[in-house]
Amino acid sequence: MGGLARRVSYIKAFKHRSNMEVPTLLVDAGNLFTDDRFSASQLPPEVMTRNKWVVKGYGAFRHDAANISYLDLPYLAELLKKDGYDQRIADYPFIERLVSANIHPMDDQYREPAPYVIKEITLKRGAPDKTLKVGIIGFSEPKPAGPNGKETVYAGFRIDDPFEAAKKILPELKRKTDFIVALAYMDIGSTQRLATENSEIDTIIAARQTSNMDEPQHFNRATITYAYNQTKYLGELRVYMKGDGSPENQINRYVALDSTIPDDVPAQDVVTQAHTEFTADQNASASSAAAAPKSPALLASSDSPYVGVETCAGCHEKENQVWASSRHAHAMATLEKRNQQFDNECVKCHVVGFQRGGFQSLYTTPQFANVQCEECHGPGRQHANNPGKGYGFMATPSGCVQCHKEPNDPDFDFAVYWPKIQH
Amino acid sequence: MRRKLSLVIAATFITALAVINHGCSRSGSDVGDNDDALAVDLNDSKIQERLGVDDGYAFAIMYGADIHGSLETCG
Repeated sequence: MGGLARRVSYIKAFKHRSNMEVPTLLVDAGNLFTDDRFSASQLPPEVMTRNKWVVKGYGAFRHDAANISYLDLPYLAELLKKDGYDQRIADYPFIERLVSANIHPMDDQYREPAPYVIKEITLKRGAPDKTLKVGIIGFSEPKPAGPNGKETVYAGFRIDDPFEAAKKILPELKRKTDFIVALAYMDIGSTQRLATENSEIDTIIAARQTSNMDEPQHFNRATITYAYNQTKYLGELRVYMKGDGSPENQINRYVALDSTIPDDVPAQDVVTQAHTEFTADQNASASSAAAAPKSPALLASSDSPYVGVETCAGCHEKENQVWASSRHAHAMATLEKRNQQFDNECVKCHVVGFQRGGFQSLYTTPQFANVQCEECHGPGRQHANNPGKGYGFMATPSGCVQCHKEPNDPDFDFAVYWPKIQH
Repeated sequence: MRRKLSLVIAATFITALAVINHGCSRSGSDVGDNDDALAVDLNDSKIQERLGVDDGYAFAIMYGADIHGSLETCG
């Protein structure tokens, strides 16, 4: 579900259905860019390529604004470097529509991001011929660090208190505009606080990798909605206006971007070009990694709490045969067909022990690729060292739906799926 | 005669400027305003259901988040 090509296709249909009478803004609430494998102030070449194509794609299919979240900062640093900035803006004008009211560069090699953008739209309904100035402003929470900690400095940028920034900038934006949309990369409590403390805001569109489609909340005069993780469902906020040009009501819908919505051809061309370039970069990285000596991570895999399927099969041969003929055993191949084997958002459900001491990457820990025994039964190191009862409890179906959740697998039915892997 | 010539030059200049500006605004315009080849059949009942009822909204805000560097979603 989801993807740029379906998103564009739906928006075109939406505008045509209303005879092009309805101005439609397109915004992103944050986490546009990947910071995967960011280290030593650098992103790997293939990650840079992915992010560059987001800038290109969002520019080509014009997004009116996008919020800068803490996750976006490593790549934002590349975009906002003063060196070469004018040429970059000429090539990718979308950069000027990246907004944040509370993120600032730590030194003067970077430009300040704009705190907000103002978009003028002319209404044909509600208050015909009225020109409405819509202000779109961005906020991000600090980067989480540890169980309760927060990092307010990341990748050369400072993340200030969003509530103080809001108090400072919103009155100015209110004077300039008729309607304010705040994009907030924040948890629910913080988003509610932002609405409660700032009566200037008409709408808050928030995000934080959530997969809930709750009804909008209303705090102060603001409507709060949440963007769906990865935009698998497109948020559609309809705004109704009174004859005097003031807002009357807002209604939120989530649109499933499934196969009912065909790909937009020009948008799919952009996605295909991105894919081709990204694949070439991946292959180059894979070649250099293959030529390098074995990495320390691989050599140290005996320290992992996971042992891998080969060890399990030593005693559980019958169960291993069932697994080997299941789709779990070929989960990584599914991603490889689409060149998504380095996309951690996807990888986490196609391997064992991702970010829990198991799979790291295909370069360093290939032995933990695919959905192996320990992904469901738990880390097996102790059991392998000291075999006995008490290991292997599996919570079903609650364990399964960690990955087989609705947007990933809308047809998942435990009663149908379980017999396919029963052992 | 000289005045007429000046007027013609000025008019030509203004027309050229208008054409250039029009071209710029088209290249950066919003989704759906240009290149209007629709991939969707608006008469398809499933598409109509997905679009919902047009009940007089004045404008709309389409939104998303968390694409995390990918123009596609997982396979």
